[in-house]
Amino acid sequence: MLDRPLAPPPVEVIVAVTQALHREARLLDNEDLDGWLAMLGKDVSYRLELKSRRFRADRSPPFPLGPGVIFNEDLGRLKMRVDRLKSGFVWAEDPPNYIRRAVSNVEVLATRADNEVRVHSVLGMHRNRIDGTTRLLTAGRTDLWRSEGSAWLLAAREIVLDHSVLPDSNLNAFF
Amino acid sequence: MRFERIGREPDYSRYMDLKEGWLDRRIFSDADIYEEELYRIFARSWLFVAHESQIPNSGDFLTTHMGEDAVIVARQPDGSIRVMLNSCPHRGNKVCFADAGNTRRFVCNYHGWAFDTAGDLKGMHEEYCYDAGDIDFKNHGLKNVAKVGNYKGLVFATFNSDAPSLEAWLGDFRWYLDMILDNEEGGTEFIGGCIKSVISANWKFGVENFIGDAYHAGWTHDSGTRSMNNGQPFPPIDMDNSYHASVNGHGWEFGTEGVGDLFLLGRPKVMDYYNKIRPKMAERLGEMRSKIFGSVASASIFPNVSFLPGISTFRQWQPKGPMQFELKTWVIVNKNMPDDIKEEVTKGVMQTFGPGGTFEMDDGENWENCTTVNRGVVTRHERLHYRCGIGRQIEHDTLPGIVYRGQYNDANQRGFYQRWLDMMTHDEFGKMPARPEPQLGNVGETRDLPGLFAL
Repeated sequence: MLDRPLAPPPVEVIVAVTQALHREARLLDNEDLDGWLAMLGKDVSYRLELKSRRFRADRSPPFPLGPGVIFNEDLGRLKMRVDRLKSGFVWAEDPPNYIRRAVSNVEVLATRADNEVRVHSVLGMHRNRIDGTTRLLTAGRTDLWRSEGSAWLLAAREIVLDHSVLPDSNLNAFF
Repeated sequence: MRFERIGREPDYSRYMDLKEGWLDRRIFSDADIYEEELYRIFARSWLFVAHESQIPNSGDFLTTHMGEDAVIVARQPDGSIRVMLNSCPHRGNKVCFADAGNTRRFVCNYHGWAFDTAGDLKGMHEEYCYDAGDIDFKNHGLKNVAKVGNYKGLVFATFNSDAPSLEAWLGDFRWYLDMILDNEEGGTEFIGGCIKSVISANWKFGVENFIGDAYHAGWTHDSGTRSMNNGQPFPPIDMDNSYHASVNGHGWEFGTEGVGDLFLLGRPKVMDYYNKIRPKMAERLGEMRSKIFGSVASASIFPNVSFLPGISTFRQWQPKGPMQFELKTWVIVNKNMPDDIKEEVTKGVMQTFGPGGTFEMDDGENWENCTTVNRGVVTRHERLHYRCGIGRQIEHDTLPGIVYRGQYNDANQRGFYQRWLDMMTHDEFGKMPARPEPQLGNVGETRDLPGLFAL
């Protein structure tokens, strides 16, 4: 292969995509779930990896079958989750939880496609639940963002949660 | 062998009256009661430790807990499975911090004491520092449990050398277990990994939810049901043709309509698959069990394992203090299913009862809030109501166990707490009452037994 390092994306792209990440976090914090769905590509893939603590020297193959993920959603599934949250019957979210997301360590990298960029970021999520308990979740994210018309849309997100045991009883919130 | 706490002989019968149908709330948060549960229930019961498919090859191992005791479950070169304390006999450190893997040795990080997969001590760092007579290698291995047993792929272990056989422990409940473990030639396997989450609730709330609480589904999971069912709520239950069955604290609640849980899984191909094998299942397990499988149902094995037959989530509630447990979940499938159906099952489980699933997201907070609120110093002295369906016990000519009519019922929960009380009260297993008297006591294989009428 004659792979040459790709030139970094233009500054305008880096700014636009970084702003998209911040906007996305604000929409989710404000429970503007329709606004969030509108930022997703039609073919979006949204996955949370399942981790297992293994010795570094362990060469066992990964699971031959099964998900290897905690969730692996497409747009239909994400709409279903949003419908559920909007149904008015989610007792665990009423009164609302206080959630705040902080996005950091944003790196925007070029890809072979002109209209797509690879984006690494770190998400810290503070959840203060209806019973007052607080959880802090952190995750690394690797995204693919695609420019369609004047907007950048999320085409794929791989989430790696930094907890071998989920420190909360549910993952109602989006990462 | 007995593991006992010193100086505590409380009367646990004051914490419940199951004929009247109430429980004292203190059993869900009291630290002394919890400590006693570890001794009298977790150190004496048969506890689920693995599915044999998780460790197929020699040297395969996984780490888990029996009560709060850390253990290693390891496949031996001769194919047998050993279960041993994950604790070095030198200073007590864990000898294995991985969740699972394959190895020839477990080596303690502290002084390099090394054990083979049977737990035998094989050597240590700077072995010359021990003089002759300082240490007997034979007596300083990892402590093995008293007994290991396997029921159709599920591996159980107990620290209790006086425990009855695993078959006797499961007893007539084997008739029900066959529906998930033996509904097709080839048996079952776990696929994918284990998802772990921590829930700030008493472990018994998880077990009792799965053992009998069909009642919560239509309300707690209203949002999830509607989002998966075109806005329609949970359908009404057929109270005449659905049941609770309880055997020595194990319990299965179920309908007989055959499709409810398969529908909730949300994967039509899986429904088709089971409809295709259902005639064979009827030949294998009898008409009744082939109708129960796939219905709205849930079950628990005493003390801390639960599953949803048809939805295929399998889980264990590991106690971590009176007000916390770790939930471990797996996906169980039939080994002989085609790969695409297995994939469909795992997708369905992930989307319904994974931590991001449409149903799972509703349960945890209820249990957490039951636990913390029940701890209030005045609140804890109030009784909780467990009387639903208390007059609906029936004799059934097919179904073993203590059977109640009507799936919305507290009967299995009462059966679970009765067994809890029996174990907290009785020092000797032999003196513990059987509930009910075993009806299939002499039956070696329960697959070929369509029901009680066949006896």
